[in-house]
Amino acid sequence: MIDFEEELKKFHPSLEVEDAEEAIYNEDLTDMADILIKIVEKAAKESEE
Amino acid sequence: MVCYNCGCRLSEHDFCTSCGVDVALYKRVIAMSNRFYNDGLDKASVRDLSGAIVSLKQSLKFNKNNIEARNLLGLVYFEMGETVSALSEWVISKNLRPKKNIADDYIDMIQTNQSRLDAINQTIKKYNQALLYCYQDSQDLAVIQLKKVLSYNPKYVKAHQLLALLYINIEEWEKARKELIKCSQIDANNTTTLRYLKEVEHMLMPEEAAKNLTKKKSASDDIIRYQSGNETIIQPMHVREKKGVSSLLNLGIGAIIGLAIAFFLILPAKIQEAKADMNAELRVVSEQSDVKTATIDELQQKIQSMTEENKRLNEELTSYQGTDGNLRATDGLMMAVNSYLTNPDDIEAVAGYMEALEPQEGEEMNDTASFVTLKENFLLLVGEKLANHYYDIGYDSYKSEDYESAVPNLERAYRYNTTNGDALFYLGNSYRRMGNEDMAKEIYAKVMDEFPDTQKARDAETHLAEINNQN
Repeated sequence: MIDFEEELKKFHPSLEVEDAEEAIYNEDLTDMADILIKIVEKAAKESEE
Repeated sequence: MVCYNCGCRLSEHDFCTSCGVDVALYKRVIAMSNRFYNDGLDKASVRDLSGAIVSLKQSLKFNKNNIEARNLLGLVYFEMGETVSALSEWVISKNLRPKKNIADDYIDMIQTNQSRLDAINQTIKKYNQALLYCYQDSQDLAVIQLKKVLSYNPKYVKAHQLLALLYINIEEWEKARKELIKCSQIDANNTTTLRYLKEVEHMLMPEEAAKNLTKKKSASDDIIRYQSGNETIIQPMHVREKKGVSSLLNLGIGAIIGLAIAFFLILPAKIQEAKADMNAELRVVSEQSDVKTATIDELQQKIQSMTEENKRLNEELTSYQGTDGNLRATDGLMMAVNSYLTNPDDIEAVAGYMEALEPQEGEEMNDTASFVTLKENFLLLVGEKLANHYYDIGYDSYKSEDYESAVPNLERAYRYNTTNGDALFYLGNSYRRMGNEDMAKEIYAKVMDEFPDTQKARDAETHLAEINNQN
């Protein structure tokens, strides 16, 4: 049986056009490749030390 | 695939042939990203949009520079009605690859049409408003808002799902089912849609088995609700239909009320309408009458003015033509002049024509200036001769005691020659002997005035005294 209140909590307000700019700025674009590069650079630094 | 360190194109080796960095793991990360992108593309092609979103997001987590994955993610968001999310992805895509990027076209498609963008924004606002109504327990208003949202954007999956949830809450199973079917047509494997649909179909199953017979108690104790075919019938509890006498009574009361309404509301209106029609006709007739009266007045004035004009023209014609006397006088003068010119010695003929110039009794002469001038000039020529002619005739008549003939001739003699006192005297005598004492007295007085200290004057005075003594 579906609980209306519980299901309602899963619905969130949609972004409006005015909020698009802020959403884009706040987007975290870090990906696996960036993490990997950081790991590799860190490892290289440590090996040099 | 390019090297993350120097940007050089990578070969099949696990190191960069340009800068020498180890790219084995990097290559695997990129490959994972591409795999997830392919998975997302497959799901999107079979309309599993939710699944496609998951895969594409995973792809971007591995490689944010996967432009194809990002553009496809934007497209999927747009198809589900999440326009702002779609725009965000395309803007990021454009920033990562400014040139030769189809995201340009997608962004232009939305942003160039300002009215469309406004409509999209309004749709989102209304959806958010509907969600707020749901939190405030104003479910009816939420339903109304969501219906408006879906009329603007029929592919808005979240709106369909929220509306279906509201219908489920009020146990409108059939309506909920319709909304969920629309959802599944847009996004086939959406778990929320599938879950709701399962619930709805479970609730609908017993009603389908006993379509025309089952009744069901609703959550409220005051009403009975049951399905009859495609219709949901809601009936208050404890309601009994009254039959028999009461229905006849109700019918009678209804008839009386209807008659009363007709009498008090409809009939006066009809009467008023009839009166208004009559007044309108009366107005039309009055206007026509006024027009005719005005026309008659105008014609009468015309008649009057034409009568006056006619009179004036007649007078003018008369003045031009003259009376018979004027015509006769003009002819007479011309004949007289002609006669004189033909035979200057034939005074008798001239006299005869000149007699035509004399006005007849009661006749008015309107001599023109030219006529008068001609007459005067002619008389300068013949006046004395005429006077002598008439004096001779008049005197002969006087001597013969033919006073009737003497008077006019002696009169003419004096008229044509006012210095002929004898003519005047004998004229007076002729009047006296005729018994016309008034004229005699007048003539004698004239003799005395015009010829004083003459024998004629003395004789005239004597005769005048005799007349006065007789009277």
